[in-house]
Amino acid sequence: MAAPPEPGEPEERKSLKLLGFLDVENTPCARHSILYGSLGSVVAGFGHFLFTSERSCDVGVGGFILVTLGCWFHCRYNYAKQRIQERIAREEIKKKILYEGTHLDPERKHNGSSSN
Amino acid sequence: MAHAAQVGLQDATSPIMEELITFHDHALMIIFLICFLVLYALFLTLTTKLTNTNISDAQEMETVWTILPAIILVLIALPSLRILYMTDEVNDPSLTIKSIGHQWYWTYEYTDYGGLIFNSYMLPPLFLEPGDLRLLDVDNRVVLPIEAPIRMMITSQDVLHSWTVPTLGLKTDAIPGRLNQTTFTATRPGVYYGQCSEICGANHSFMPIVLELIPLKIFEMGPVFTL
Repeated sequence: MAAPPEPGEPEERKSLKLLGFLDVENTPCARHSILYGSLGSVVAGFGHFLFTSERSCDVGVGGFILVTLGCWFHCRYNYAKQRIQERIAREEIKKKILYEGTHLDPERKHNGSSSN
Repeated sequence: MAHAAQVGLQDATSPIMEELITFHDHALMIIFLICFLVLYALFLTLTTKLTNTNISDAQEMETVWTILPAIILVLIALPSLRILYMTDEVNDPSLTIKSIGHQWYWTYEYTDYGGLIFNSYMLPPLFLEPGDLRLLDVDNRVVLPIEAPIRMMITSQDVLHSWTVPTLGLKTDAIPGRLNQTTFTATRPGVYYGQCSEICGANHSFMPIVLELIPLKIFEMGPVFTL
């Protein structure tokens, strides 16, 4: 059992593991992708059935897989971009704190190059 | 360290481990979808009323189930190779530590700036203080600075061992007669645990690794530079 959280520490969300291994609560983008995939599955399957009156389970499952995969890649791409931007911002803030007022100040370099 | 009954990866303390966790999530989602598809196919197989025994070929289906797995494997291999090459990048380490495996303890040598050498034995249960971790805490921790690239040279004096710290994404075999190298940069301070990961005798489970990662300013005041 996990240790109880310290005061002030955010509580870890209870994990819901699909098929016993995919933790949708604690994996970024997983919950979002699975939910959109389920919606896509229902829309595709039901839509196919409405138009053709034929068995639509296969279309539903195919829709689930494709929509989940599509949402997953889209969300992970944006998440990776966001992480890179956060890292750059963190490093720039550190540089700013360290070098403010000195000749290495990033803002001074930037203003110097823009006035030239 | 891992909490009791933990199955998943520990939180990352190095950029490489962050990448490994991201890759793990990516691979797991692909695995989940494949399992879902296979379970659905199994369900259909078990519940179908179709029983044609004269099917001789299915060229289109065979083409699909050859090309699709190849595409899936490429989707998994590309990020994997990216991380593999990332771990081999040379990033000008600030400090080199030698780690030598013995039966059943580790020796650490800080010889860059002086001659600090010490052994690291697991604390026996009788010697544990309240709050110490059984089978994990050691008498002398490996103290290292954060946010500085560090090179570990790992070898063994007797049999095979393996120097592991899961939170840093490190696992390197200690092989007698060979020097293996691994580099890492820790991003946050703390105490991190690992255990020997290559069977090495009776006390293989009782030779843990403990890293104490501290800010560089405090590290510079320590015995590495003053001894």
